[in-house]
Amino acid sequence: MRQKASRLYREQTRTAWLFCAPALLFICTFLVVPFFMSVFFSFTDKMLVARAGKPALFTGLGNYVKVFSNSTTRQAFINTGLYTLMVVPFILVFGTLLAVFVNRQLRGVSVFRAIYFSPQVVTMTVVVIVWSFIFSASRRGMLNSFLGVFGIPPQRFLQDTKQALVCIAVMYVWQAIGLQMVIILGGLQYISQELYEAAKLDGCTPVQQFFYVTVPQLKNTLVYVFISVTISAFKVFTPIYVLTNGGPRNATVTVVYQLYKVGFLNNQQGYASAISVVFFLFVLAVSLLQNHLVGRED
Amino acid sequence: MQAMSKSRKAAYLGLSYFFYVAIALVFILPVLYMFVSSFKSDAQIENDMSTLKAFFPVGKLTLENYRASFVEKHFGKFFLNSSVVSLIVVCCATIVNAMMGYALGMLEFKGRRFLISVVIAFSIIPSEAVIINRFLVALKLGIINSYWGLAAPLIGHTMYIFLYYNHFRGMPKELQEAAVVDGETYAGIFWKIMIPLSKPILATVAIMAFIGAWGDLLWPALVTRDETFRTLPLALRGLDTDVHTFWGQIFTFATLMTLPVFAVFLAFQKQFIASLAMTGIKG
Repeated sequence: MRQKASRLYREQTRTAWLFCAPALLFICTFLVVPFFMSVFFSFTDKMLVARAGKPALFTGLGNYVKVFSNSTTRQAFINTGLYTLMVVPFILVFGTLLAVFVNRQLRGVSVFRAIYFSPQVVTMTVVVIVWSFIFSASRRGMLNSFLGVFGIPPQRFLQDTKQALVCIAVMYVWQAIGLQMVIILGGLQYISQELYEAAKLDGCTPVQQFFYVTVPQLKNTLVYVFISVTISAFKVFTPIYVLTNGGPRNATVTVVYQLYKVGFLNNQQGYASAISVVFFLFVLAVSLLQNHLVGRED
Repeated sequence: MQAMSKSRKAAYLGLSYFFYVAIALVFILPVLYMFVSSFKSDAQIENDMSTLKAFFPVGKLTLENYRASFVEKHFGKFFLNSSVVSLIVVCCATIVNAMMGYALGMLEFKGRRFLISVVIAFSIIPSEAVIINRFLVALKLGIINSYWGLAAPLIGHTMYIFLYYNHFRGMPKELQEAAVVDGETYAGIFWKIMIPLSKPILATVAIMAFIGAWGDLLWPALVTRDETFRTLPLALRGLDTDVHTFWGQIFTFATLMTLPVFAVFLAFQKQFIASLAMTGIKG
């Protein structure tokens, strides 16, 4: 009996490792190995295509100093932070309001829910190109014509250093908010109706119910939305690569675009690796924040 | 008194629907604009863009953009590239990660706990943070500018492993034990019993993998050298940054590359929403 059990255990061990091998192989080759390469090369001046007769040298923290002293790279981190600060609060507030708004038993509401979610089927590259037409800077451009109705003069939008990042944030929010609405809607279903009944008996207005019942009960869902939107905002690349190439005057350079430019276009693998590592540390910090926020619950 | 509250209720309801429709327009109009414009000439698009006509199929409608997209801009080739890459990713990612999820979730073996914590640790690394050195790995492996090079990095995915792990952990152990008593191997159990019982989660992961591969831009931008293996998002960007841009063709490309995702959405609505809700969000 015992012998049979140990035979089964051995067979499970063999099958298990065999079954884990392919996935681990892919993840190690394309994620873990490159990650450790990034850490290693971040301390060197390695070029992507090595120069003949000039091996890569250790440069200590030189690349990291450059991450914070180079004006474009610093701007990339600042822009990414600004972009995140625009996108995350907006999606949290309006995603929640939208979810509460469509969480009603009214005829046809499910159709509206589907419509609000529908931008999800549009690939990001398509989203930014269609919106670039809407944001056309010409006087007869779509949004400019619309603003003209209200007597607002034509705007430069993506060509304006102050507006470009905002325009990109708008594109992202347009695409992402419906999905966050669905996630928050899922959280709303778990709130017990009794809490609302009790709040009503205590004389709470709908607004008070929202702040004293809905928001506290949604905490974990909102933390999840907060973290996932923040990390996803950090990674913004598509609109910059497709529309602005970081311009005008570095107003839309972001971290991922900058590490693409430095590492791939400018060939500076070591420097790009250092940017990657700093970027990773930001993502790590936000991930740890999630554990902290959710962990405090109990 | 009664009547007033009734009419107030009606007004309230009317106002609600007004906002429902107004918000819906914000989400529909850009897509409608894209779709309608794909049937208009460039002159017509430019003419209509400052009025509401932009959203309606008015004026001279034509299929010329569609002809030009296929004949002059090789839409078919890019579509094929995107399809092949997505197909490789979907097939491999669905199975490869399921195997690992099954092992972690249903098998008792040495190293199980260790592997679970390893997967958790790996899941924190964003692919964007390794992209440059991933390119070097692909270069060393000689898979630059190939379908395999485009697809391979998207196959192994910690999140998919977790989804499967949670799914298989919840499966009844008795099922497996009964099959073992009948002399079935663990590999046999996986293929013959577990896979057929896991269709919803397989569909969820397949959809995630499809959306990820179909919309990917950063990795294809690095790993393709020329038009031969260019995927749709890159091709669309190419049209947009050309010296002379043809608006109608851009809208046609955009419309055509949205259709497959839309079809998947219509066919698997429930899993589509579930899979995206789990991904959090696309970049």
